[in-house]
Amino acid sequence: MSNLDNYKPPIIPDNSGTLHPINQTKDYLLKVLAEMGFKKVHGPEIETEEFNFDMLNIKKSHPARQMHDTFYVEGKNNVLRTHTSPIQIRTMLESKPPIAFSSAGKVYRKDDDATHLPMFHQVEGIYVDENVTFANLKDLVHRILHELFGNNVEIRFRPSYFPFTEPSAEVDILSESGKWLEILGCGIVNPIVLRNCNIDSKTYSGLAFGLGVERIAMLKYGVNDIREFYKSNLDFLAQFK
Amino acid sequence: MKLIYTDLINLLSKKPSKELLSEKLFQLGHEHEIHADIFDMELTPNRGDCLSLLGLSRDLNIFFGKSEPIDIFKDNIEELEIDFENRSPSDCPQISFLEIEIDETTDSYKPYIENYFNKLGNKKTNIFTDISNFVSYELGQPTHCFDRETIKNKLIFENKECNNTFKTLLGSEVILKDSNCVFTIDGEIISLAGVMGGASTACSTKTRKVLVECAYFNSESIIGKSIKYNLTSDAAHKFERGVDIGSQEMVLRRFAKIVQDHAEIKSIKLKSFRSDNFQNISIPIDINKVNKILGTNLDESEYLGYLKDLGFNISNEIEVPSFRHDIKTNNDLAEEIARIIGYDNLKSSPIKLGKIDHNNESEVEKLESFLVANGFTEVINFPFSSKNEKNSINIINPLDSNRNNFRISLKDSLVKNLLYNERRQKDSIKLFEISDIYTKETEILQQKKLGLIISGRFGNNYRDFTKTLDNKYLNELLNEHLSEDIFEIIEIPRNELDTKRKEKIYYVEISLEDIPKNFFSKLTNHKKDINFVSYKPVSEYPSSMRDISFSITNPEMLESLQKLILEYKNDLLKEVFIFDYYLNDKVGEIKIGFRFVFQSSLKTITDNEINFVMNNIIDSALSIDSINIPGLMKDL
Repeated sequence: MSNLDNYKPPIIPDNSGTLHPINQTKDYLLKVLAEMGFKKVHGPEIETEEFNFDMLNIKKSHPARQMHDTFYVEGKNNVLRTHTSPIQIRTMLESKPPIAFSSAGKVYRKDDDATHLPMFHQVEGIYVDENVTFANLKDLVHRILHELFGNNVEIRFRPSYFPFTEPSAEVDILSESGKWLEILGCGIVNPIVLRNCNIDSKTYSGLAFGLGVERIAMLKYGVNDIREFYKSNLDFLAQFK
Repeated sequence: MKLIYTDLINLLSKKPSKELLSEKLFQLGHEHEIHADIFDMELTPNRGDCLSLLGLSRDLNIFFGKSEPIDIFKDNIEELEIDFENRSPSDCPQISFLEIEIDETTDSYKPYIENYFNKLGNKKTNIFTDISNFVSYELGQPTHCFDRETIKNKLIFENKECNNTFKTLLGSEVILKDSNCVFTIDGEIISLAGVMGGASTACSTKTRKVLVECAYFNSESIIGKSIKYNLTSDAAHKFERGVDIGSQEMVLRRFAKIVQDHAEIKSIKLKSFRSDNFQNISIPIDINKVNKILGTNLDESEYLGYLKDLGFNISNEIEVPSFRHDIKTNNDLAEEIARIIGYDNLKSSPIKLGKIDHNNESEVEKLESFLVANGFTEVINFPFSSKNEKNSINIINPLDSNRNNFRISLKDSLVKNLLYNERRQKDSIKLFEISDIYTKETEILQQKKLGLIISGRFGNNYRDFTKTLDNKYLNELLNEHLSEDIFEIIEIPRNELDTKRKEKIYYVEISLEDIPKNFFSKLTNHKKDINFVSYKPVSEYPSSMRDISFSITNPEMLESLQKLILEYKNDLLKEVFIFDYYLNDKVGEIKIGFRFVFQSSLKTITDNEINFVMNNIIDSALSIDSINIPGLMKDL
């Protein structure tokens, strides 16, 4: 009989857990932006109407401010932030250009159906300096999307409308099935917003962009139903090792 | 907004194909879907001017030219004598009235208007209302038709504090509250301005004399009313986005022309009321500024040429046409130029920013990495709760009463997650969540908290299978190197939960700022680069388990058996692991137990299906030399 000491017991399989795929995707996006020169900043999820709307040139009459779109919380004019843009306002108020910041986190809309959740995640970036142009924005967005979807991805810019950028664009990528998918919103920071943040809009201009983390995660992982991310099902979560 | 392809190209001198039209609409920023001959437009809220055939064609003229202007009633129209008072010109700086009487009504229309009803599925009501709807489709300006016979006394437009029941022309009743822009006669509200007319003055199929009201209402005066009273209307949609203040008389003349196409006009009268305080916007010509925004090198003549084609008048300054409310600054003009050139045709130019170190050594990232390495899975929960604690922050307009507070702890969410997975036959559960928690103290307090919960087996492997996750496990994991037990471990009693399971549940919640620095200093971030695996949908059907133990009298065969079983592939076999392993070195015999978990993605799995796979595995295993299943009869 051979020496039993030579027999190795069976290997204990890797029993590590996983980070949530949305947080993995969010961290990945922030890392991509960090490599491009954007520094991560944070802000609160309960925001004032002033930072969430007014400072961003979203007027009192804008539909987004109505009670059926935005969660209002007790306290003076407080809302659950509807986007991560107020973080940029807070950061611009505290710094002098040139600045390049990224912000990420949970955002809230009063929505709950098959394709919309009351809470989701955004990642945004803003760059303010002298002579920032739409041409710079185009180049940067192309670089981001090439990093995310490969250098061969087909990209389409479409004019759009956001109160805080002008010109504004939505950016689509061409999916394998031949359909254009909306992937990113961006634009030249509206000079009104710069002035609201005490930045001289004659000297400085800025570019800004934002992505929905769930959308990117769904595309990259092939998840079709956004609600899967928030069932906390271990069979689901364990797949994202 | 739905429109018919042929209606749109009628207003263009070149007749683009659907494909080319679609391409240019996208270039201009007008998203849409095409179903046969119908373009279903999804316009951005700043482009109220494009909510009509005329409006969209104005944007497209630069590519496809203008066709003959739309036919209007050109004859002189007698002035209408109407007893009208505008008490709120700031809400309504311009309003016109057209009175028409016809010999007889009809519901059989010329093809150009008939198409609007047939192809777009709109319902006919009466000739005047039908023409009103068509004109709005064609020109983007809503009009409202009062049956002339019902307007006997003084008509007043006012912004009024209301507490009235109002019956709409569609028959529904709403209670008007607070201030609203309304038309009244003798104090009675006959129309909710810019949203919907009332039943008492509505036209019918018998109406032969009509008073058509055509106004410019400030969008701010109209916005929100339609949602507030649940009265969806094309008029409200358009007024909220802004109509053309310069168009009311032309629109009424178009209205009259269409009436003339369908009936003999017995009398026609028109009157406009305009307050003086409305001014069109002009912007100084500054091509350098526009080039600076876009990063282009346009010359001034090219720039101004584009603007002229879009309907801007160029004098010493750039005069913005009255239909373009969205244009106020050079940034707005730059967007116009970019749309015409095409965003995709503008050049790109790189910026150089210094590289930032992605700080992945932050405390949160180290903590996450540590927990994942120890088998914890991260969850993210919605922060809403039905529990109204003393320091809960209330949501004023919640989705429902189960979600009317912000959670003040992660515990309830994590307990729910644990029970959810137990119901899915998970028996070794370790979850954590890190989230900002908001509470109401003297002001709103924000704390980043870690919550973690455990229950069940240590792990699904032979080393951990019989051990149970407990207080001691958590204490060693978290408190071992700390001078005091910072992490407070609590047991969550099962009897308060909706569950029959018996394993104990342990929970820890801590604010990150309460964790001592030396706890983090021992941790390192092992995070790997993200791996975008291709996800497989999770089955909603129950799983089933089978256990088998083998004895191996020649330990050299262990590896073959492991290879056979652990690498066995079958669609129904979801998971297999070794739950038991024992080497008896005195007799040189190995005992090894495997657990098989079966689940189908299509249906509840049957015993027969499981047995079929199991027999196959057993047969293959027993064909390996020296392998037996204790207690299994050979001829079974």
